Amino acid sequence: MENPFAEEPKPTAAWLWQVFTGIGLVILLGLHFIANHFIAKGGLRDFADVVAYLRNPVILVLEILFLLCVTSHALLGVRAILVDLGLSEQAEKRVSQALTLLGVLTVGYGLWVTWAVIR
Amino acid sequence: MTALKYPKVQRAGRWFDVRRRRLGMWAYAVNRITGIGLVVYLYLHLAVLSLLSRGPETWDSFVSMARSPFYLSLDVILLAGILIHGLNGLRIALTGFDVGVRQQKMLFGVLMLGAAILLAVAALKIFGG
Repeated sequence: MENPFAEEPKPTAAWLWQVFTGIGLVILLGLHFIANHFIAKGGLRDFADVVAYLRNPVILVLEILFLLCVTSHALLGVRAILVDLGLSEQAEKRVSQALTLLGVLTVGYGLWVTWAVIR
Repeated sequence: MTALKYPKVQRAGRWFDVRRRRLGMWAYAVNRITGIGLVVYLYLHLAVLSLLSRGPETWDSFVSMARSPFYLSLDVILLAGILIHGLNGLRIALTGFDVGVRQQKMLFGVLMLGAAILLAVAALKIFGG
């Protein structure tokens, strides 16, 4: 019997958004990694250095964009994996709602940490 | 565009069905496995960043610890996951738009070779200081 799952699935709207955020991450994660782990002395910034770094408005905007992209990309990926396990339509809806809530909480938490550093 | 609608019972066993799998499907599975690892890391990273809210002493003592060879090794593993997931993800995006579908084996090989080279350079940078 032929395996009907031998081919990759075709795109959905969520998948397209994941591609968009994924391309954004290639750029933003690259910048984040280089700035925080390669340029920074010893591979990590000390507290004073983190504060100075995040108080730069351009860096702040880029880091917030990075937070939005990485959170939506990650949780859309989790959703894709869970949906692929064969959930009922109701369960799929609940998973989507739970992950949306988790995403909002994650971004809110990230913004709170950022505010705690730069205030 | 719509997702493929497989029967629910068959969907659940999809990950364990190794029959007639092609390289693209294995690469797709690798992307999901690295993706799960990166999601776990994302939340660990966010939890660690909460140390910043406790002030300079807490953060700076963590930074001293994180500069140890053990933590630097974890950085290299993290970077391997990022490079494999990111570059393989670009291949999946391209093939999802029907670009380079016939060349995807070669594309996968080239991208993974690129990932290995970038990882080697980054590891030298991480441990070289």
